[in-house]
Amino acid sequence: MPATTTTPSLQGVKLVKTYGDGDARRTTLHEVTIDLFPGELVLLMGPSGSGKSTLLAVLSGLLEPDSGQVMAEDDGRLREVWQLTPKEREEYRRRNTGFVFQGYNLFPALTARQQLEIVLKWGSGATSGEARQRADDMLDKLGLAKNKSKKPAQLSGGEKQRVAIGRALVKNPNFVFADEPTSALDWENGQKVIELLRDAAHERKASILVVSHDHRILPFVDVYYHLEDGHLERRPLAAHH
Amino acid sequence: MSYALQTLWHERTRYASGVLAVTFSAVLIALQCGLLLGLFKITSIPVDNTTADLWVGSTAVSSVDLGKPIPNSYISRVAGLPGVKMPEQYIANFANFFKPTGGTELCFLLGSLLDDGTSGAATLLSKEQREALTMPYAIVVDESDVKRLSLDSKDGEPKINGKKVHLIGTVKGLKSLAAPWVFCSLHTARQLMGQMLPPDHVTYLLARCDSPQRAKEVASELRAQYPDDMVAYTAEDFSFRSRMYWLTRTKAGLAIGYAALLGLIVGAVITAQTLYSATAANAKEFAILLALGIPRWRISLMVITQSFWVGIIGIAIAYPVCVGLRSIAMQFNTDVDMRWEILAGTATITVGMALIAGTLALRSVKQIEPMNLLR
Repeated sequence: MPATTTTPSLQGVKLVKTYGDGDARRTTLHEVTIDLFPGELVLLMGPSGSGKSTLLAVLSGLLEPDSGQVMAEDDGRLREVWQLTPKEREEYRRRNTGFVFQGYNLFPALTARQQLEIVLKWGSGATSGEARQRADDMLDKLGLAKNKSKKPAQLSGGEKQRVAIGRALVKNPNFVFADEPTSALDWENGQKVIELLRDAAHERKASILVVSHDHRILPFVDVYYHLEDGHLERRPLAAHH
Repeated sequence: MSYALQTLWHERTRYASGVLAVTFSAVLIALQCGLLLGLFKITSIPVDNTTADLWVGSTAVSSVDLGKPIPNSYISRVAGLPGVKMPEQYIANFANFFKPTGGTELCFLLGSLLDDGTSGAATLLSKEQREALTMPYAIVVDESDVKRLSLDSKDGEPKINGKKVHLIGTVKGLKSLAAPWVFCSLHTARQLMGQMLPPDHVTYLLARCDSPQRAKEVASELRAQYPDDMVAYTAEDFSFRSRMYWLTRTKAGLAIGYAALLGLIVGAVITAQTLYSATAANAKEFAILLALGIPRWRISLMVITQSFWVGIIGIAIAYPVCVGLRSIAMQFNTDVDMRWEILAGTATITVGMALIAGTLALRSVKQIEPMNLLR
């Protein structure tokens, strides 16, 4: 069950994003407002081109909106992500955000353990020993204890996606953004992946936003939003549970 | 193992062209410089094949074959200096060689004392040859010059400056570039030069010193004391000056420089392209790191580190290739001077080139955007 917290850890307020000029101008986000709470796994669904990935990018600090605010909890205080300088925003992302994408995007030359270590060493300045310990702990939790020294080519699709999730979670972020994390997987592996994300949200009190087309993951999420033509609507889960 | 090195090893087929480009550049530079230095060693043969530590000659002499006559009396300026043994006279002059079969060649006469313990006689001369050379008009040449001077002919008589000479033996390893070296006694040289060498003059004064350090001190003291009418060098300095003079005079150094530069540019372009495409191939993985807030300079540093290793591995391969090519060249009697300065210089230049190539490849890092991960 999700944690019951009244204060959102991440808020998108009246977010507007348009692409193109003149006749080709298209509004992807129409004053979208969304609250993400700690310990919640939030699903964002909608047809192709509805702006799901745009919303994820705006909320995660990768894409600047035309207007609106993204308020995020950072080091115990609320900050407006798009008022930060690029350097501050990079540091904010380093402290707070994890990403999982459909393509696993693992370095072919590195072992599962190193994929996680690199984030800690290069991002958090962790020592080799510390990075190794934390990477090992994370891989153990993800059921990859026997695969720590394997390179991506030696792993199955499901295992690769679990390593990618480990990479997103290993620094213990407040927010995790997952774009179609299950769409390249069969349902058995897809289910494992969504369960891991749900557990991460509940146990680590992280806010996890999953963008997906896959209706089968509805029973596993805490909150469900539907985005269509740039308009966001929160939908009840009961019918799907 | 660093991530950079690990990636290099994992994707070795991808990086191979860059590594081979570095190897190519390094081999090209090292061999060209080695060949050139090996070739121009010939110009300092008279200096390198004596045991003298100190050479005293005419003012501003640029090369051992360009010395002008100096008075014998200068011996008194050198003799008696602390740590300097008794100076010896040495004649080094161009002369006309009349081949026994007809025709002439320019030769270079080297006349020295030949007694045991003297410093001017070529070290490759045997004791028997030195004794035989004390006979008037006896000469020794390198075996590679025998045919050129027609000394293998049974007919006719060889002459130098119109005076009959006779070959009493040959040596191996004292090849000439233009004029064949002709070794003889000081007395013979003086007779052969005749009026062309003023009386009581020689070309050089040679001396041994107690130590190489002492030779340096004496040379600089003499230069300071007699700046207007003579010059003094250590054997090492004079040898180097002789080679550098011909290297720059013939513009051969310039030609080699251009060829090496071309090799470097080709190497740099291929290496840069290899690193660029390798980085572009990992763009999505790097984009994830950027999304996670890892600074771009970290990724740039990894690319630069990769370029460094490409350079090091390229040089590691180049070294045995150079050694192999050198031994092949030696079999064809071509000297390749692979001194450590050349190897170290080549290594520095090529690693520098690889690092520049890495810097050029950084534009691929600039193009990486985390947003590209979202469709």
